[in-house]
Amino acid sequence: MQKYEVLAIIVNSLDEKKALEQAKKSISEHISSLGGKISFEDFWGMRGFAYIIKGQKWGYYFCAQFELDPALISELKNDWNIDKSLVRFLIEKVDPKASAPRPYEEMKKEFEALEKERKIVEMNKSTKKKGTRSPEERESARREVAEKEKRAETKAPVSASSEPKKTATPKDIVDKKLDEILSDSSLDL
Amino acid sequence: MPPRPKKFVCTFCRNEQAVIDYKNSKLLSNYITYYRSIQSRFHTGVCLKHQKQLSSAIKKARMMALLPAVRYEK
Repeated sequence: MQKYEVLAIIVNSLDEKKALEQAKKSISEHISSLGGKISFEDFWGMRGFAYIIKGQKWGYYFCAQFELDPALISELKNDWNIDKSLVRFLIEKVDPKASAPRPYEEMKKEFEALEKERKIVEMNKSTKKKGTRSPEERESARREVAEKEKRAETKAPVSASSEPKKTATPKDIVDKKLDEILSDSSLDL
Repeated sequence: MPPRPKKFVCTFCRNEQAVIDYKNSKLLSNYITYYRSIQSRFHTGVCLKHQKQLSSAIKKARMMALLPAVRYEK
């Protein structure tokens, strides 16, 4: 007789009471009919999935530990594959070094404690803002700003005689000659 | 998790934890990147024995829809 553990997901088209009954009927009664012994049972209740399975977003979880003859495990798996009320299941050998099994509500309390620690760490990160600098950091920042200003002054200043020179275009020459011709009173126009 | 300092002891060895459970998804989600892939030993500082247990536990949790394998944007 070998020790095993199973975690199964039940279809979400049932009520919570009916899901409990269905779980016990299809899992624990089936095991005892094959000659096994159940040592631990736990119904987790509703839980959302991490991804969509067959168009479903949530389901009922059920966990159990039992003892069984290792030759009958393949028969168990075939029967559970045919059963339509189970979406997925996972059978695993229990490690002898593992701690005793505990219900899901105790694990939820640990989850809340872990989340609180994570939030505290994030809060401490964001408190390093401009107003909380040490005096040494402020002096080094002042020195950098002073050095930048010195470098800007020592550069050569912009000269005023750098305007572009005006070259004589052919248009200007023609305009000048036209003015001379028109101002001449000796010609008849 | 941020990269580890040079003198570091594996968290699982310090707590004397022999077996990592695949059912506590919150503990496993600390060893996952932003895009939901498994983090390497260099960044988390876990010893080899526990890293193999961690990776197999994460894969089992992914199969039972307790952890995602890919980051979906809604």
